[in-house]
Amino acid sequence: MLEILIKSAVLIGGIMTAAAYFVLLERRMAAWVQDRIGPSRVGAPLSLLGLKDLRLWGLGQPAADGLKMIMKEEYTPSHVDRRLYVVAPIVILAAAIATYAVIPFGSLLPPMEIGGEKVGPIQLTVAPGVDVGIIYVFALSSIAVYGVILGGWASNNKYSFLGGLRSSAQLIAYELPLGLGILGVVLASGSLNLERIMAAQAAQGWYAILQPLGFVVFVVAAFAEAARLPFDLPECEQELIGGYHTEYAGMKLLLFLVAEFLHMITASFLIVILFLGGWHFPLITGEADATIISWPVALARLLVLHGKIFLVIVFFMWVRWSWPRFRFDQLMNLAWKIMLPLGIVNFVAVAVLEEIRHSYGPDESTWAWSLGIIAASWVVFAAAWLLTSVANPLVTDNRPRRDLAPLEVDSPL
Amino acid sequence: MPTVTVDGIEVELGADERLNGIQAARRAGVEIPHYCWHAGLSVVASCRMCLVECGKKDPATGKVAMQPRVVPACQTPAAPDTVFITASDKVKNARAMVEEDLLLRHPIDCPICDKAGECSLQDYHFEHGREERRADIQPFTSRRRELGETVTLFVDRCVMCTRCVRFTREVSGTSELMVINRGAHEEIDVFRNEDGEIRFPLDNKLSGNVVDLCPVGALGDKDFLYRQRVWFMKSHDNVCAGCSTGCSIKVEENQDRIHRLKPRENPHINGWWMCDEGRYGWKHVHDPARLTQLRRRETGKLVSADWHTLPAQLENKLRAAGRLGAVLSPHLTVEEAYLLAMYIRVLDPEAVLAVGPIPTSGEDEHFRGGFTIRAEKCPNRRGVEAIVSRVGGSLLTWDDFLAQVEAGSIGGAWITGGYPSAWHDAADAEKFASVKTLVVQDVFASPLWDRADFQLPGATFAEREGSYVNATDRLQSFKWAIRPPAGVKTEGQLYWQLLGRPGLYRASEVLAEIAREIVYFAPAAQGVPEVGVDLKVTQLAASAELVASAGG
Amino acid sequence: MKADDPNIKWIEEPKLGLAGKMYLPLVAQGLTTTWKHLSKSLRGETVTVSYPDEEPKIGNPLIYRGVHRLNKDEAGRVKCVACFLCATACPAHCIDIIADESPWSDREKYPQSFTIDELRCIYCGMCEEACPVDAIELTSLYNLTGRSREEMIFDKEKLLSVYDATKEQEPMQSPALGGTAT
Repeated sequence: MLEILIKSAVLIGGIMTAAAYFVLLERRMAAWVQDRIGPSRVGAPLSLLGLKDLRLWGLGQPAADGLKMIMKEEYTPSHVDRRLYVVAPIVILAAAIATYAVIPFGSLLPPMEIGGEKVGPIQLTVAPGVDVGIIYVFALSSIAVYGVILGGWASNNKYSFLGGLRSSAQLIAYELPLGLGILGVVLASGSLNLERIMAAQAAQGWYAILQPLGFVVFVVAAFAEAARLPFDLPECEQELIGGYHTEYAGMKLLLFLVAEFLHMITASFLIVILFLGGWHFPLITGEADATIISWPVALARLLVLHGKIFLVIVFFMWVRWSWPRFRFDQLMNLAWKIMLPLGIVNFVAVAVLEEIRHSYGPDESTWAWSLGIIAASWVVFAAAWLLTSVANPLVTDNRPRRDLAPLEVDSPL
Repeated sequence: MPTVTVDGIEVELGADERLNGIQAARRAGVEIPHYCWHAGLSVVASCRMCLVECGKKDPATGKVAMQPRVVPACQTPAAPDTVFITASDKVKNARAMVEEDLLLRHPIDCPICDKAGECSLQDYHFEHGREERRADIQPFTSRRRELGETVTLFVDRCVMCTRCVRFTREVSGTSELMVINRGAHEEIDVFRNEDGEIRFPLDNKLSGNVVDLCPVGALGDKDFLYRQRVWFMKSHDNVCAGCSTGCSIKVEENQDRIHRLKPRENPHINGWWMCDEGRYGWKHVHDPARLTQLRRRETGKLVSADWHTLPAQLENKLRAAGRLGAVLSPHLTVEEAYLLAMYIRVLDPEAVLAVGPIPTSGEDEHFRGGFTIRAEKCPNRRGVEAIVSRVGGSLLTWDDFLAQVEAGSIGGAWITGGYPSAWHDAADAEKFASVKTLVVQDVFASPLWDRADFQLPGATFAEREGSYVNATDRLQSFKWAIRPPAGVKTEGQLYWQLLGRPGLYRASEVLAEIAREIVYFAPAAQGVPEVGVDLKVTQLAASAELVASAGG
Repeated sequence: MKADDPNIKWIEEPKLGLAGKMYLPLVAQGLTTTWKHLSKSLRGETVTVSYPDEEPKIGNPLIYRGVHRLNKDEAGRVKCVACFLCATACPAHCIDIIADESPWSDREKYPQSFTIDELRCIYCGMCEEACPVDAIELTSLYNLTGRSREEMIFDKEKLLSVYDATKEQEPMQSPALGGTAT
């Protein structure tokens, strides 16, 4: 029990702090991409003690941001549905945090002695060994959309409402490719348990290499699920002011914003765990199936996992400034006409290749077989990608038909 | 019907109309540029800007025989079957050459010239001049010479159109200006002695008109000099309140501050001119001594009041005062006088109405050009008298009213002023001792104002809206040109509010009502054109009506 | 507006080639562009500067649009002839001039008072463009501060003193600074 409480505390404290500093990183990255300096001033306010302020490259910024949000007036507009308005941010944040119960934030800690008692080996998951890990993550991340819809609905504001509607449509659309992307991983690893999936990748190879098509589908869908650019339609400033959180201010707004960041961090965790080998890195992270590992290996695994997650988050932020936002019809086309078929192709291809390996392959995997499987999956990837590109379903002509007589068409223009 | 052809457009002439080329072309919608010609002055054809091609159409064959040279349109009578061509290359070239000649030695100081923006030389140069200047830009500034108290001459800006010289000879009849020297050295000047000192300055009572006449910036009005650029000002049609001639004028203001008055063409009243007294007679509008505080007396002490609660307070006090009397100032518009009379009559159907004092000074002055400055220094005596005699039943004067007040028969009096200078003395004010409620509406402090129970700051002529009837029974309507100073409510708006009428004061509505009610004003029923309407036609009927009502 | 309205000009989108349809080259292109900027900024070559610690670089002070100044002529008198052209050109209506006859024999008109509301000004430089005698100019002084609104309404004396303060660094129309004076 104590162990779980400590792990929860470490995890929640860790991701909350991380979220705060990722906000700073996001702002600095935004500045750098735009040839600016970015927030670089808030450090230690030693001038309160009569000394010179320390700037510390702006590392005090998250504290200042948080303080600002807390000190702000907690304004509740008169036209909102009060109960749902208050519940919405709590729902979204609770769902976002609860997801981390089954997500491993490391591998193992070797046995150790604490106060004369022998403890361990400790699994670095709050609730280790959950066999339906992925399904649990899915279920909870779907609940997050409730927070968004509740917020948009309770605000009683057309922009919020539109934001909520967009969000629900978008999340439902992208759950499918997300699920199909995972299906291949589950099929290959033979488990829904996230720790076992990481271990399987250590043995078989990273699924990003083995199932490139599934990887791409999953990454795109994860961006959409996290509502990050170029998929941030639920809260696009240019169209909807603030989307579903237009009417929120102060602490409640802070909860929404933190939850959004947690979604991104969750997505990064899943990308790393499911496709980028989790804690695995060739040569330095030890035996995949070992139940007891040494301290250096444990540390190496921890560092590798979090290093990968950090890089994926940086990629998220980098992408943000590289693409403009999709139009809603493009968003839907991408989901239903590209990502869903590609996901199905990936699923079928993985199933066939796994079957071939099981039925015809040697018991001990050989280099030739592994390379053959990888080559086959890349061929499938290239062929499927080429086919979708030529079919070109992303381009829609939504201009009014001009060949119709003017009487017949009541043009939306 | 005789016709004239201008650029292919046929213009019909009246039976005995005598037009020149410029006027005929204007009727065809063609503007011929000109400097020296002015409809109110004689023709000299000296500037040569209006050169056009001219010919004669044979009415029998329809053949046109053109004259080989260009002729000045101002000097060419538009006789029947004359043909004018104003847009040929020949004419354009002639205009360009004239422009170039005029600008040869014209200083390029438009940025500091007060005429810039309304200068014919500028406008015509843009329209008809050459694209490039071939001469040196020389001189850069203009010599300046005083001509009198009101006008200054910028010698080098002059284009020698001699409009000003002809004006002093033909309209004011004083001939102070002349042309000195010859050829390229021609200049305008007044008569001087050997030392160059002015013997006869330009000081006639119409002298300001030469500034308006000047098509360029040569003549400057010292009162307006350097005060404002013309493009900042907005022009409002108005009527001069200086005397009972009631000249049609334009009030030019910027941000509710009058900068100058200019005459507006009205063939029935003032032609193209106005007198200096009227021209500079707007200074009291912006006098710092103007009254702007609304006050009422409460238990002997003056306290400030506000316009919203005023109507109820006024009504209480006036109803309690007994017999009421109102003095309608000849500075009120017809509409204002009528509304005040109605209001007083609502409170007391037996109320006494009287006309305010009529300020006079000297004799009527007639000028050679037909212009008249009247001795009666108020704009609307006839209009107010008509209201007083028709609504009040009899025509009481200020002295009659004072007599009644002194006799103690008036309990509540409403006095309207609006005179630019003092109009009663302390002795007159003493006579109001027996009046219980005294309402005074005026623009400057006076003995009566100090005695008043209600001190209502009033408006001046440029702030009013309504109509004046001048000495020749011509009624002219106008709208307000500037807003009154903060704290002041115009008489019309106040009376409108006192009568409980909805919305803003609408003078035209009131005038239509007056025209229905009072025969004298009947010609104004169909609306009032820019030049006004003549009320004389109904004078006979009105006097007959008066006689009848007096007899009955 | 109907779809067949003749006023609508329909523009065909350019067709994408196969590489474009593959989308990946475009993805790489986008990421490369942002990466270039990102790495440049990380090397410290940002456009913005850390202001109070570091002064911004002003390229050509003659075309910089900072605080106004009223130039003086050789005799030390204000060059302005009070023609109101700057006030006319000013889109923010921040220039207020009261003109009068000049006290000097060689000049007709001069500004008795000349005030610019520096808070209302949008620093567009139209006054400088409009001036026929090069009397008003915008200097490169950008750090304009004040403690009250009144303080930021610059009168003639203050504008002339700005000239005195900047005439060394920014001579009127100096060819060294890209001006046209000879």
